[in-house]
Amino acid sequence: MEENGEKRWNFWGMGKLNPQSKTSVRGLLMKIWGSVNKDDPRPLLPLGHGDPSPFPCFRTTPVAEDAVVDSLRSAKFNSYPPTSGLQPARSAIADYLSRDLPYTLSPDDVFLTIGCIQAIEITLRALARPGANILLPRPCFPFYDSYASSINLEVRYFDLNPEKGWEVDIESVEALTDENTVAMVIINPGNPCGSVYTHRHLKEIAETARKLGILVVTDEVYHHLTFGPNPFVPMGVFGSIVPVITLGSISKRWLVPGWRLGWLVISDPNGILRKSGIVECITDCLNMTSDPPTFIQGAVPQILEKTGEDFFSKTIDILREVAHICYEKIQEIPCITCPNKPEGSMFVMAKLNLSLLEDINDDTDFCLKLAKEESVVVLPGVAVGMKNWLRITFAVEPSVLEDGFGRMKAFYERHAKKQ
Amino acid sequence: MENGTLNHGVDTGSTITIKGILSLLMQNIEEQTSKKRVISLGMGDPSAYSCFHTTHVAQEAVVDALQSDKFNGYAPTVGLPQTRRAIAEYLSRDLPYKLSSDDVFITSGCTQAIDVSLAMLAHPGANILLPRPGFPIYELCAGFRHLEVRYIDLLPDKGWEVDLDAVDVLADQNTVALVVINPGNPCGNVYSFEHLKKIAETAKKNKILIIADEVYGHLAFGKNPFVPMGVFGSEVPVLTLGSLSKRWIVPGWRLGWFVTSDPSGMYREPKTVERIKKYFDILGGPATFIQAAVPRILEQTDEAFFKKTINLLEHASDILCDTIKEIPCITCPLKPEGSMAIMVKLNISLLEDISDDIDFCFKLAKEESVVILPGTAVGLKNWVRITFAVDSSFLEEGLRRTKSFCQRHAKQLLRY
Repeated sequence: MEENGEKRWNFWGMGKLNPQSKTSVRGLLMKIWGSVNKDDPRPLLPLGHGDPSPFPCFRTTPVAEDAVVDSLRSAKFNSYPPTSGLQPARSAIADYLSRDLPYTLSPDDVFLTIGCIQAIEITLRALARPGANILLPRPCFPFYDSYASSINLEVRYFDLNPEKGWEVDIESVEALTDENTVAMVIINPGNPCGSVYTHRHLKEIAETARKLGILVVTDEVYHHLTFGPNPFVPMGVFGSIVPVITLGSISKRWLVPGWRLGWLVISDPNGILRKSGIVECITDCLNMTSDPPTFIQGAVPQILEKTGEDFFSKTIDILREVAHICYEKIQEIPCITCPNKPEGSMFVMAKLNLSLLEDINDDTDFCLKLAKEESVVVLPGVAVGMKNWLRITFAVEPSVLEDGFGRMKAFYERHAKKQ
Repeated sequence: MENGTLNHGVDTGSTITIKGILSLLMQNIEEQTSKKRVISLGMGDPSAYSCFHTTHVAQEAVVDALQSDKFNGYAPTVGLPQTRRAIAEYLSRDLPYKLSSDDVFITSGCTQAIDVSLAMLAHPGANILLPRPGFPIYELCAGFRHLEVRYIDLLPDKGWEVDLDAVDVLADQNTVALVVINPGNPCGNVYSFEHLKKIAETAKKNKILIIADEVYGHLAFGKNPFVPMGVFGSEVPVLTLGSLSKRWIVPGWRLGWFVTSDPSGMYREPKTVERIKKYFDILGGPATFIQAAVPRILEQTDEAFFKKTINLLEHASDILCDTIKEIPCITCPLKPEGSMAIMVKLNISLLEDISDDIDFCFKLAKEESVVILPGTAVGLKNWVRITFAVDSSFLEEGLRRTKSFCQRHAKQLLRY
């Protein structure tokens, strides 16, 4: 019954799906959570991940919940959904996104996915022809890299400039592009940077991409979550300049990441993506993968159409408040500097000045020790491609944030280099 | 028609998806502006019919989970612990050992569980044994993972049993697994304990594991009870795939599982578990609140609900078989014993102007607004798959129209 060493099974111990060298946000956070002192009576303060839904101030709107309950109880949505999504959901999303565009999206341009994560997956799969490469920003949401490497799609990184509001370094994009480059990815509003790009900059990106013959994949999962001077401008606005694939979901704006309802949208009024066959690739991928639950899709029209502005403003107000607290508090801690006040999303990148610290080797060491000594979790920047930086989440209850920074300051003082 | 060319718009040179070909058939009907109501006997999804609906317990469990506001956030990528535990207990009821919650991974429907198993096993040069006829998602996923596919025939004269001699011939050192779908889709068979044991022994002899697709688990109404392949988990490692979709009639909820049924612990090796977890890290899983409802759904669903579904299916399968007997050009080798579909053979030589199964189905759709699946889509040319998990009046009318179609196209026999 037990297998001895000699018995070899053919499936044993292989598979090229081994992203062992890739740090995942979850993986690193798990490690850091693991070093928290279990005997610390104080509550753990999670300032590392992007899910504010546990906090009462970040509760979704009853409109959305009621829509899903109605949809479920109607018993009309228990069947398999069509591959690209239920038609009314596709229509509603097309209308919703078209509100901010100078042209109208067709429901056929909209594909429903299991959260924005699956939208990323399908996009990368559709673009991954042999030998192709894509351009990712650094820092970046690490899922792009993890997934690309699992399908052998080469990635190249262009820089975002911390001195210029994390804008895309256009020259580095140009330098990296060759005849095998198929696309560049931007995340706006930015994860992990908290940046919100201006109309001017997005146009510049569009024109550059067009010149280079590559399409733009825009990750707008944090769409409309802006509270600074720059309004949210969807990349699709420049869809006539360069073909754009827009990724998004209800997860962040409605505070329901657990509902897994996202979209992949072709924002391409000139129809170039359709002609190139990419849309067919997308449907082929969708044909062999799963879908978001039908009854959640069924609730989408009601969710998008009936959610009141007051719910959205309330969320923005809280984010503005906590982003402000975060920025102010960072300034009180000498070993951390924040080059840009966050203007959107739920995160900010802050630079660690290790020379001011006594016995901390790098960002991961900082985070492990902080977790152990103070039960505060923040994400080491290495997870997003910037070693010796930190990604701090401010989308938490204001008191949690204040408390967290209080403890971080105490940690700094304890580890500060003696002058 | 030659392979690789288009047959009624169907590209027989590449893997056809069931949804794809069914939608082509439906389009054919619309183009004819038929006055008859459309009767689809093509999809394994009875939820559209009022006689087949899920239990109130399940629905309210999900409503409560949603309204609790506790499950709007991300779940751990491997699934909520209470969900994993509940499924482990549920499946262990039919096994001679206890599954641990660590053996259970929650997926977005059984479709995603298929993707996970193939992704975990694929490596350069590997091959996998798939049943023919089978379920085309396996081919699609195998293609994507660069897994070579080798077909093992299911034998219609032997209750669609697996041709085990073929396994011995086709398995080599690069073969990673044998896929067994039981209760069977598309064939409607339920394997006996003896046959499952022989499959396990054959797999063990050839050093391959078994992927047991049990999405129709417990939907058995014939002489053989449902026996999970995991019963033989100590002989040979088994990956069990399943979901709520069929037994609870909620395929749209996308709640499935990937389970390592392997008491000897090969799949509990830390490295293997690590690999599986790392893969789940890059998957988009099922909605958290649906996961949260699973323990209640599994514990509180009444036996009466299950019995009702079985009775409906059995009744429908009786109607199907009886009517098929009245149609000369169609033969049914096995009365269905489970699942929601059967494979029946077309005798093309008895038909006047029908070239093959695809032609049959397209013409049937056009003339009678009845949709059934050409067997080519599941690997058997000149057979067709008929799903019977529909309202019985629908089924009767659909079969009546099919019978009249066959009569209309019957070859005129010489009289002497």
